Amino acid sequence: MDFLLLGLQQLADPAVFLTMCIGAILGVVVGAIPGAGAAVTISILLPTTFSMDPLNGMTLLLGVYCGAAYGSAIPAVMINTPGSPVAVLTALEAKPFVDRGEARRAMSLAYSSSFVGGVLAVLALMVLTLPLANIARHFGSAEFAMVAIAALVLVIVGHGGRRVEATAALAFGLFLATIGIETAYSTQRYTFGLLSLGGGIPLVPMVIGLFAMSEALIQLTARAQPQPVVQLRGHFFQGFMEVFRYKRTLYGSSFFGIFCGILPGVGEFLAQQVSYVVAKRFSPEGHLFGKGAPEGIIVSEATNNAVPPAALIPMLALGIPGEELTAMMLAVFLVHNVIPGPDLFANRPEFVAGLYWTLLLMNVVIILFLLVATNAIAKAALINKRFLGVAILTLSLIGTYASGYRFSDVGIAMVFAVLGYVLRAHRWPLTPILLGVVMGPIVEGRMRQALGGANGDLTIFVSRPISAIMVAALALLIVFTFRGWIKRRNAREDWQINDT
Amino acid sequence: MSEEPEIRANRLESLALSILFAAISTGLLALIGVATKANAKGGWWTQPWLMPAIALGILAIANLITLWREVCDLRATPPTTQEKVEGWTALLGWLRPLEFLTYYGLYIYAIQHAGYFPSTLVFILFLLWRVGLTAPRWTLAGLGLSVFMIGVFRIGLGVWMPVPDLYRLFPEAMQTALIRWF
Repeated sequence: MDFLLLGLQQLADPAVFLTMCIGAILGVVVGAIPGAGAAVTISILLPTTFSMDPLNGMTLLLGVYCGAAYGSAIPAVMINTPGSPVAVLTALEAKPFVDRGEARRAMSLAYSSSFVGGVLAVLALMVLTLPLANIARHFGSAEFAMVAIAALVLVIVGHGGRRVEATAALAFGLFLATIGIETAYSTQRYTFGLLSLGGGIPLVPMVIGLFAMSEALIQLTARAQPQPVVQLRGHFFQGFMEVFRYKRTLYGSSFFGIFCGILPGVGEFLAQQVSYVVAKRFSPEGHLFGKGAPEGIIVSEATNNAVPPAALIPMLALGIPGEELTAMMLAVFLVHNVIPGPDLFANRPEFVAGLYWTLLLMNVVIILFLLVATNAIAKAALINKRFLGVAILTLSLIGTYASGYRFSDVGIAMVFAVLGYVLRAHRWPLTPILLGVVMGPIVEGRMRQALGGANGDLTIFVSRPISAIMVAALALLIVFTFRGWIKRRNAREDWQINDT
Repeated sequence: MSEEPEIRANRLESLALSILFAAISTGLLALIGVATKANAKGGWWTQPWLMPAIALGILAIANLITLWREVCDLRATPPTTQEKVEGWTALLGWLRPLEFLTYYGLYIYAIQHAGYFPSTLVFILFLLWRVGLTAPRWTLAGLGLSVFMIGVFRIGLGVWMPVPDLYRLFPEAMQTALIRWF
């Protein structure tokens, strides 16, 4: 109880409250603009949060993260343009609503189910993180190494249809993480004598180049598109209570989103796709899915919004980021010397409790904002893509430069911008690169510690019970994935991750 | 995260990309003896080359598999003349982002000599003109964006910028204000 009261005390700080509101509103707006989105915004904002208090910095980024999940529904419904891959299903289901003149109903169904999914996920975060952290207290290096490796394997498995590309991207990220001076013997690795690479590839310029600048280049080089029409007719509050008529779908998809959020490497898109297929199969109105079924919107939005708070569970409890946005946020933790993991609850309880409450209140702030500003945000979604590209490119400079006050960092960002542009154009996934960079030092450090304790004996990973269970689970996962691939090798897989 | 880019993957273009990636990854792997050092004292698990070797090994294998798939696909269905032409066009399309990055490089150079605000304003207005947004409302929007950048980052967040040569030409009283705010 004292722990939660401590969090409320943090929330009483006007700076935290203001940052939360700014982050949430900004998140909704950028989430509604196709081509902007959470990854671009968080990567640009990342360096500005380094000078903030850790709770303020995290609140701002989480506001963008959660707000964008809500905002992505706006263009999907009102201009039938999914702003991100996670809005594709919402756009598909909302189209018949719009055609029937019930756009407001679709919008309110999306908001309401997003709210339920988001709030349930925050409650899960509050309930599950501490017990998981307590379990993790008994972990040794072998277990942490296996958790990190499991996260990497899940990243690959999660990219169904693009697993070879995801493996290459992940390995590239792991390689990038090794560049610089390594810690065991202080020798240089792949620096080729360049002093500037001694500290390794700086994370922020890499993230901005890969996610923000490459997006800007795509917008700048894209052909002009005809302007879609905003449609918002019907009764706005019609769908707010309607979601509770589909309790099984609503809660089922929310809990599935939470489950997938906890699993590293799965992410919103895969969670949503699986949840949609399952709901369609088991719903009595399954035949209406894809033809304007309220349940279709509920599944899509509740699952999508349940993932971001749940993704914080492994990050806070184990220090393992599950997807690209939490991986970016890990940088904020590390800059402020806040080490996520089991000890975080003992060392910084006020920070964790403050984070819980801000996340919970954030959902309320976002819903209230959406109630008054949906029309205006829909107009923002119509922003000219080329102008957006110019804006992102200009903002990228300040983001990159402010991270270390070095113009050389901008050069690094430019290299990654070209790489990101080419990879996006060929639909190669970018997320595994970032996860590889972030997870590389964790994997290497923990593996060295574990093997060092066992004098290089690899059986350390199967002689400890928790580690052995993880090894067995991973082996089964790999075997089943490989078996599935063999079965389908002549047929193209239906669902593919596209997080580029 | 984004809309589908304009450039559609052409098989020959993908092949070129796969060759490039496979060559880079195997090249980096081949350099492991030069780019990392072995240490005789420690155990195998502490060797500095171990992690890069694992990462590059996986990378090289994955890239070679991709390359092999591309080659098999092209062998099974040889490219048409049109596809070949499109492939070259697609490869030339890689130069398009480089054009914008050249402007970006010039912008960075200009910041150090002409100052953040003037360079940003010129960069934004030039890019808008370059991408065909030439109507007066876009010029106004560009001006608004420049003022926004100054307001948020220089004045609001106090992001420091090096003192440019241009500002030194102004009287001292103005110099201070220009250096601090613009």
